[in-house]
Amino acid sequence: MKREKRIKIYVVILLIIMPGFLSGCWDSHELNKLSIVSGLGWDIDNTGKVTMTYQSIIPSEIKGSSGSNGGGEQKGGSQLSAIQLNQDTGSSPYDALSRYTQHASRIPYYEHTQIYLFGKEGVQRGIYPFLDTQARNPVSRPKALMVVSAEEKASDILGIQDGMENIQAFGMAAEIKLSATFSKYPEVTVLQFQNRLLSKTTAPIAPMVGIFEETGPEGKKIRRTRVVGTAVFKGDRMIGQLNERESSGLLWAINEIKIGFVMIPEASMEIVSAKSKIVPELQGDQVKITIEIDEESNLVEYRGHQDITADLVHELEKGQAKEIESQVRAAVEKSFALDADVFGFGEAVHRKYKKEWKDLKPRWDDIYSRIEVLVKVKTHLNEIGDVNKALIKD
Amino acid sequence: MALEKGRISNFQLSVLIIGFVFGSSVIISPGGKGAGHDAWIACAIGLMEGLLIAWIFTALTKQFKDKTIMEINSLVYGKILGKGISLLFIWYLFHLSALVLTNYTHFFKLQIYPATPNTVTLLLLILVCASTVGRGIEVLARLSIILVPIIILVVFSDTLLLIPHIDFNNLMPVLDVPSGKLLLASHGAASFPFAETVAFLMVLAFVDKPEKAPSAVFGGLLIVGFMLIMAVARNAAVLGPMAEITIYPTYLAAQVIDIGDILTRLQVLVAISLITMGFIKITVLLYGTVLGLAQVFNLHSYRPIILPVGILMVIFALTNVGNTQEMVDFAEQGYPFYAIPFQIGIPLITLVVAKLRKLPQTGGDQV
Amino acid sequence: MFRLLSQKMRRYRTSSSDNQTQAKQNASPKYLSKNLEGNLQVLREELGQSSDVIIRDMKISSNSDVDGAVIYIDGLVDRNLLNQDILQPLMFNLQVIKDNVNQKQSKLIDFIKSSVLTVGQISGTEDIDTVIAGVLSGHTAILIEGVTQALLIDTKGWETRNVDEPTNEVSIRGPKDSFNETLRTNTALLRRKIRDPRLTFQSLQIGERSKTDVTVAYIKGITPDHLISEINQRLKRIDTDAILDIGYIEQFIEDSPLSLFPTVGVTQRPDVVAAKILEGRAAILVDGSPMALTMPFLFIEGFQNPDDYYARPFFAAAIRWLRLLGFTLSIYLPGIFVSLKAFHPELFPAPLLVSVAAAREGLPFPVALEAILMLSLFEILREAGLRMPRSLGPAVSIVGALVIGQAAVSAGLVGAPMVIVVATTAIASFLVVPYADAGALLRFLMTIVAGFLGLFGMVIFQLEILSHLAALRSLGVPYLSPVTPLKLRGLKDVFIRAPLWAMDRRPEFLDSSDKRRQSPGQMPRAPQTKPGKREG
Repeated sequence: MKREKRIKIYVVILLIIMPGFLSGCWDSHELNKLSIVSGLGWDIDNTGKVTMTYQSIIPSEIKGSSGSNGGGEQKGGSQLSAIQLNQDTGSSPYDALSRYTQHASRIPYYEHTQIYLFGKEGVQRGIYPFLDTQARNPVSRPKALMVVSAEEKASDILGIQDGMENIQAFGMAAEIKLSATFSKYPEVTVLQFQNRLLSKTTAPIAPMVGIFEETGPEGKKIRRTRVVGTAVFKGDRMIGQLNERESSGLLWAINEIKIGFVMIPEASMEIVSAKSKIVPELQGDQVKITIEIDEESNLVEYRGHQDITADLVHELEKGQAKEIESQVRAAVEKSFALDADVFGFGEAVHRKYKKEWKDLKPRWDDIYSRIEVLVKVKTHLNEIGDVNKALIKD
Repeated sequence: MALEKGRISNFQLSVLIIGFVFGSSVIISPGGKGAGHDAWIACAIGLMEGLLIAWIFTALTKQFKDKTIMEINSLVYGKILGKGISLLFIWYLFHLSALVLTNYTHFFKLQIYPATPNTVTLLLLILVCASTVGRGIEVLARLSIILVPIIILVVFSDTLLLIPHIDFNNLMPVLDVPSGKLLLASHGAASFPFAETVAFLMVLAFVDKPEKAPSAVFGGLLIVGFMLIMAVARNAAVLGPMAEITIYPTYLAAQVIDIGDILTRLQVLVAISLITMGFIKITVLLYGTVLGLAQVFNLHSYRPIILPVGILMVIFALTNVGNTQEMVDFAEQGYPFYAIPFQIGIPLITLVVAKLRKLPQTGGDQV
Repeated sequence: MFRLLSQKMRRYRTSSSDNQTQAKQNASPKYLSKNLEGNLQVLREELGQSSDVIIRDMKISSNSDVDGAVIYIDGLVDRNLLNQDILQPLMFNLQVIKDNVNQKQSKLIDFIKSSVLTVGQISGTEDIDTVIAGVLSGHTAILIEGVTQALLIDTKGWETRNVDEPTNEVSIRGPKDSFNETLRTNTALLRRKIRDPRLTFQSLQIGERSKTDVTVAYIKGITPDHLISEINQRLKRIDTDAILDIGYIEQFIEDSPLSLFPTVGVTQRPDVVAAKILEGRAAILVDGSPMALTMPFLFIEGFQNPDDYYARPFFAAAIRWLRLLGFTLSIYLPGIFVSLKAFHPELFPAPLLVSVAAAREGLPFPVALEAILMLSLFEILREAGLRMPRSLGPAVSIVGALVIGQAAVSAGLVGAPMVIVVATTAIASFLVVPYADAGALLRFLMTIVAGFLGLFGMVIFQLEILSHLAALRSLGVPYLSPVTPLKLRGLKDVFIRAPLWAMDRRPEFLDSSDKRRQSPGQMPRAPQTKPGKREG
């Protein structure tokens, strides 16, 4: 190749490469220029304005006692806050975000956000814009938790410093996960919510968190958060909620029971394992669903003042089965009342009856409340504990 | 014809094929769109079609041992027509490589480095590919023996770690999709990525035991085919209906991995293995393009044109699609048909004509 | 631009013409004359006026008129040998010489050579250059009036270091001898390990002015012949002033002078050299250097350590994995840390992220710069520690490691996690000695790349390195054998260390002519007790 041609090619290469290097390291974000958002709150008011609440972590406050950090300042006072709340309002989530950047010193960083919290007012209007952002933006994690606030505004909850975790959103996430593990209320990730939404017949759900007050040390009133119910959606709007019993029933039906307790009047049982199946049956135009539940438990509390006999064990098992069945029934009744298929009955029918589903699907809203539901519970009481005779006999 | 003195073994050939087919399959899942949660079935059918196509072009190379498709074309069609067809094939390789680069660019721009200019990412990648091509096919084969097992390991561990999240209900009901759509998606899976192995028509000439080469090709295709089917099925099982909506299902699935709160964020492993697989695929394609050009134009070495061709590929990749949706549309609807003449047409017709003309006769190997 | 560079490089590329060697050979030889005085005059001129050149006149046997002279260099010769076995017999063997002294002078030389001098190595020559070369190497030359032949007697006996423990390659279980600077000692050490008559030492002299003795050691029949001829070819091509150390040879004959990775192995342990020769490699020893070269040298050899073979296989395999891990870590760790902090914070699990972010508060430098500063600091400390007088060593380690590191963190210049990362990296880099330098350089480059482009840049850079390694060859053998091209049997010694009784073949990639090195079926077993025998 002639010398001139070669030089020309090299010059071209250089020209292509150089602007890149001259502009600096484009994607490099130093950690201390990021504000790590641990929880995001979403409120919408009656004019359609969106208020976003950002709970971000102040890293220097986390490392309380270790000496050799540049920069963290000790604030006077009893409680060091490791989080910071900021709020901004705009006509859409991103508009609110752009206003946030006007007074924030750092770029918000969402990759570690564990909680997306929605104010009660907001969910009744529909949270679709949020869902779209969630799916479209690559920074959000599919495993973050969707949570509805039992109070009017999300911002109320995000500000409450609660208990052992000094990062409140992480603490709340842990709370929700724990309540799901103990089979009280569901734990719903963004991915699960999205999948329910996509199904067109299944109703999305999300746990609800509320505030309660209690008197703490030194007589001061402390506000704490707790999980109080399950929100039921139709599409992107909340249309109702399930209480504690109904939520448990729901979990029983959709095979999300892990550990927990079953309480009957004379005894309490600790759940060791549980499995459930939804078996659909189509008879002409009538949909029949059988919920089969298989459960194993151990006896942890017996209030009956009697010795344990084999018959008594059977009695307890039967009592347990009845209690579980009634919980599930309660959930089914509520879902009929709301006309929301929170169990995924529709999808179950779809899986088994491919052809018929095409006709049934558009009419599902009407068909749903007329479904015959049968609940079959099998319980096994495995262990009765260390003692088999009563301490005080009747 | 001293353009390429290296020789590769059949084992290296299989491994190279595995790496090549994996290529950009992480980004655009094969058999994806239109088949819904039956995508894995589409993938399986596509694999069979791919095997068929592989059978065709390996028959061609068995007929003409030690010759690349360029040389074969000239023998079969005569010099002028042969070179014309060879140029068409070279165009296909070039275009395919640019397409892979495009896939790459959009994935990166979205998920990993939003602010970095595409130019830089692509240029750096092409530079590595170019330097490897310059070292000859042997070096690429040796490299693939190191890289491909790592990739396989990553794919397997990805799947293993997702086992807790797999819900087979998501895959049911089976064959829910109308068969027309399914067949279309299958053909899509065949043309991308299985039948792209037609590019190996440039490589098969350099295998040291040409008689065993077809079984090496089939073996490699089967292995990587099964792994892809497994990956597609796993994505659908883990992600449920979201797998159809998202553009990058494997990446999303990797974000779900969470073992004990420590093993999270493994999606970065997916991204890294993506770069590696893309490297293998682009290097093979670049090699084919450059070697082909050298053979058609009777150059004494392909080394001087490696870098210019590579840069042209980058420029093409940067300019050929306006936005990501165009890329996806082309991949789903345009490419399966656009590729037919190159993947099936050229090998099949050449094979038929060669058999009719009772070629090769002994002796003579001009291009 | 690039053309200028390539033009300059062309000057240094190997030229196929042997102009230089021919020039040397065309010098006409000069011969001794029969005149003793004349010869001595010529020799005095050639050897110069140095004070250590001794020319001693004497009479061959006290009763004759035969003049002679002995020439040697003081300091190079063994004086006892000279006095007792050369001068004494020449000057005092009255009766014997007297009987023969009247014979012709030429016969006298033969007689002296065969019957009078009680020394081991004698040769005769008429060429002046040979005489000079011999004297400069420690031989003693004997010249006799009327005879054109001079006798050269090997009287080498200079001060040399003892055979000591190896300083750089420590082995816990193995032998603790190492080469020293005298070639003959080193070849002797090899002979003691391999008593096979086919162990061959081929000698050359390289270096215009140093005329250094260079020996190629191999076992005929195991090392392939084409290897030896290739090595000899490369050695003969060397045309330089002096070979002061084996490193000079290494740099003249290596396969890839422009690569970061060595293609020639260096060791100071005779057991290592012996093992490598037995596998089919060749070794090069140089007078004046306590190191030996082995060729061909492959990438995996850097991870192999003599102790691996003297210990039992499971531990050896575990340690080998540790080395691989440590080496990988030492190259990647700073880069990974930098890219995670600067580009991909999402990869940290949440609690770790908070700690790292907290540590990052208030630090002035971008993390890439911080990493490079710390790495440079470590390299400075290391190099200074090598060069400084022994007595200051402890002071430096205390000052350097503890004070500077700790103070930097307290002053808020550097984050604590960074210190941990760099310290770990630094220590880990010494797990694999031959690649310590290459590794250090790679580490730097990798960190810089990570600072610019995060993980993507690192992966690209890594691919380029791998590509380069895959293309590298050492004496024709691919550098990454036996991993690629894949030779399954060779893998016995790569990631694991197969038990010795399982390694019955020589490594295939070395293409040796004799494939088997031990008989298979040697796994040891406990002796079987006969049934019915009672234990007790």
